[in-house]
Amino acid sequence: MADVEMKPLDDVEAKEHDEKSSPVAEIRSNVALIERAVSTLEPRFTHRVLRTLTALRKRLDDAVLRDAIGEIYTNDDSQAKKALLVWLPAAPPQDHTMDVDTTHVPSTHPKHAQPEPVPESEIYFRLLILHHLLMSPSNYKKAMTLAHETVQRMQALNRRSMDPIAAKVWYAVERTYELLGELAGARPLFLAAQRTASLRHDAETQATLINCILRSYILYNLYDQADKFVTKTTFPASAANAQFSRYHYYLGRIHAVQLKYSAAHDDLEQAERRAPPQRTAPGFYQAVQKLSIAVKLLMGEIPERGLFRQPVLEKALIGYFEIVKAVRNGSLSQFQSTLSKYAADFEKDKTYTLIVRLRQNVIKTGIRRLSLSYSRISLRDICVKLHLDSEEDAEYIVGKAIRDGVIEGRIVHEKGWMECGGQKGGYGPEVSDVFTARIQYCTNLHNESVKAMRYPLNAHRKDLVAAENARERERELAKEIAEGGDLDDEGPDLGEGF
Amino acid sequence: MAPPQLVTLFRQLQQAFTARPCDLQKCGTLLAQLKIGLIEAGLLMPSGDENLEDLVMARDVLEVGAFWSIRSRDIPSFDRYFSQLQTFYNDYRFASVLPPSPREYPVRGLYLIRLLTQNRIADFHTTLESLPLAADSLTANPYIQHPVNLERWLMEGSYSKVWNAREEAPAEEYKFFVDSLMGTIRNEIARCEEAAYESLPIKDAATLLFFTSQSELLSFAQQRGWQVNVSAGTIAFAKKGEEKTEIPREKLIQTNLKLARELEQII
Repeated sequence: MADVEMKPLDDVEAKEHDEKSSPVAEIRSNVALIERAVSTLEPRFTHRVLRTLTALRKRLDDAVLRDAIGEIYTNDDSQAKKALLVWLPAAPPQDHTMDVDTTHVPSTHPKHAQPEPVPESEIYFRLLILHHLLMSPSNYKKAMTLAHETVQRMQALNRRSMDPIAAKVWYAVERTYELLGELAGARPLFLAAQRTASLRHDAETQATLINCILRSYILYNLYDQADKFVTKTTFPASAANAQFSRYHYYLGRIHAVQLKYSAAHDDLEQAERRAPPQRTAPGFYQAVQKLSIAVKLLMGEIPERGLFRQPVLEKALIGYFEIVKAVRNGSLSQFQSTLSKYAADFEKDKTYTLIVRLRQNVIKTGIRRLSLSYSRISLRDICVKLHLDSEEDAEYIVGKAIRDGVIEGRIVHEKGWMECGGQKGGYGPEVSDVFTARIQYCTNLHNESVKAMRYPLNAHRKDLVAAENARERERELAKEIAEGGDLDDEGPDLGEGF
Repeated sequence: MAPPQLVTLFRQLQQAFTARPCDLQKCGTLLAQLKIGLIEAGLLMPSGDENLEDLVMARDVLEVGAFWSIRSRDIPSFDRYFSQLQTFYNDYRFASVLPPSPREYPVRGLYLIRLLTQNRIADFHTTLESLPLAADSLTANPYIQHPVNLERWLMEGSYSKVWNAREEAPAEEYKFFVDSLMGTIRNEIARCEEAAYESLPIKDAATLLFFTSQSELLSFAQQRGWQVNVSAGTIAFAKKGEEKTEIPREKLIQTNLKLARELEQII
């Protein structure tokens, strides 16, 4: 789950943008937006900037960043400018482009008229440089130093308008640590930052950091600590969908390990629903589906066939598809051979232990099929059909299946057979429970979507004006009616007068 | 460096522990002294860069302590030692300072068995996941393989395999858990039988429950409230009366009202 899962996650919210604009121009407009966000105290603009981050990240290179910094920081003596340029190699064309900038820019804008950009822009640049450094493994060490410096700078500045950018910076910090393989060492840093963020009600940073910490626990298989961490923190409700999606995925993983399959299933469903479309983030979608198939099988459900036909999943899930087939057939030998064939894949996806747990489900499915097709079957035959080792085992296994409610039936020990009872009727209190649960789900979904709607500011004014107009019209109408009434009243008079 | 008296105490403990038969009482007193010594030297919960030899010693003391608690059948004490060992096993491993201990997997395996005997399956799996081994090599380690197999058989219902494997323990200490494990299995089997059989001949019931004598079975049957018919030689299981299917009126009304309210809101 190393790389595949993370990268697409970033693609979250990647918005289609104008491909024609050059990266430098885009950075410039982004900085302008950040300035606007800071001056109007409207975080919406910052979010818009950050949405373009993923697409922009791929088009960055040294020259682009240098040009952009040169354009934004027109004052050559600026401390921030020097601090930023330190991180970029002074390549030969640099002097040239810098010359162009310094001769070009002042001609359009006088040097002194351009005020120093807000600190948020500086952090934004640092974020861009950080992502740029992370592209090549040789720069990881450098990225780490930059990450530390940026975090210090962020904490020293301590501005609320910086929070959305700070969240992204934290993510980049986590990525740096992970690429260097030192994620375990970063935990104290994240935990401290998470405490600060929650004290400041900084939902964005909090959400990002909670995910970072969970990831670091799960990467080292520390499910116990991860679970305790989850119970001690509350995930901010106003966090972005992408963060929610990851959080639910991690929760699903924890719950699956703890055998809380239905909870895990709910979490994974949430993760899938909140995740960006499959095409933008295929890796995350695959990871969620892999885990969700394992959990579904453990719950005794068989995933739909159509799932494995989706183009995004077809190749990635081939091993899981084989496993599903084995479970469906209730064939232990097929299950074992599939398991050993795809062991390396499952191990890589960290689902191996979950899949191994399926063994008992395979047996249960087998027994269930037998109980449906026979009204009476000898233990010996069960043994042969399910490839069990001995009749004695078969008796215990059938007994357990009856106790667990997998099948309805009894064992007649003296005669050595199993008698299968009739199936339960389809009506009863449990049906109404399921029905209620579904209705509740639908109404909840409806209510949530109503809550999630955005209302533009001052939109009600328009309604007010419309209402005013309507009242006006009504009044006119009333007047007309009154006048008309006069006419009417006059009517009979006239008639009388006639 | 650890104070010299701590080191001599540790030597004594090792001697007392490896001696045959092992002197449990002496080990106990030595362990108590050693633990105080370790706390004073700041080694019980090491927090920084400690001397490597000291760390190894502290870990060995705790491991001996864990084995000692099992031999003297003090399970809560074993739990304490195990959680104290976690620091040494997990945190120092990632920093790759501490050489792995040969006793690490026996201790971990014992803890897994202990969780099994208490039927704490969820904890069992969490602990299993957190083992620093690749998942498909779990079965290659004899100390881990044993509990993993036991769990699989328990879940499947192959109780006879569990019964047969009880003597195949990879370490001496594993056998201390056999008795309580058998108790767990018997209860499991008994619950299955209650559900799956109407009646059973006494003799067969005894074999199914792995009882060797009839008197053991009879007392067990009494415990679970089974009706034993000695003259016919059968055990009849108390049938739970068919549950009356009552319509949960109040609940239905409530859900219907709620639904109506929601619908009202939407329209």
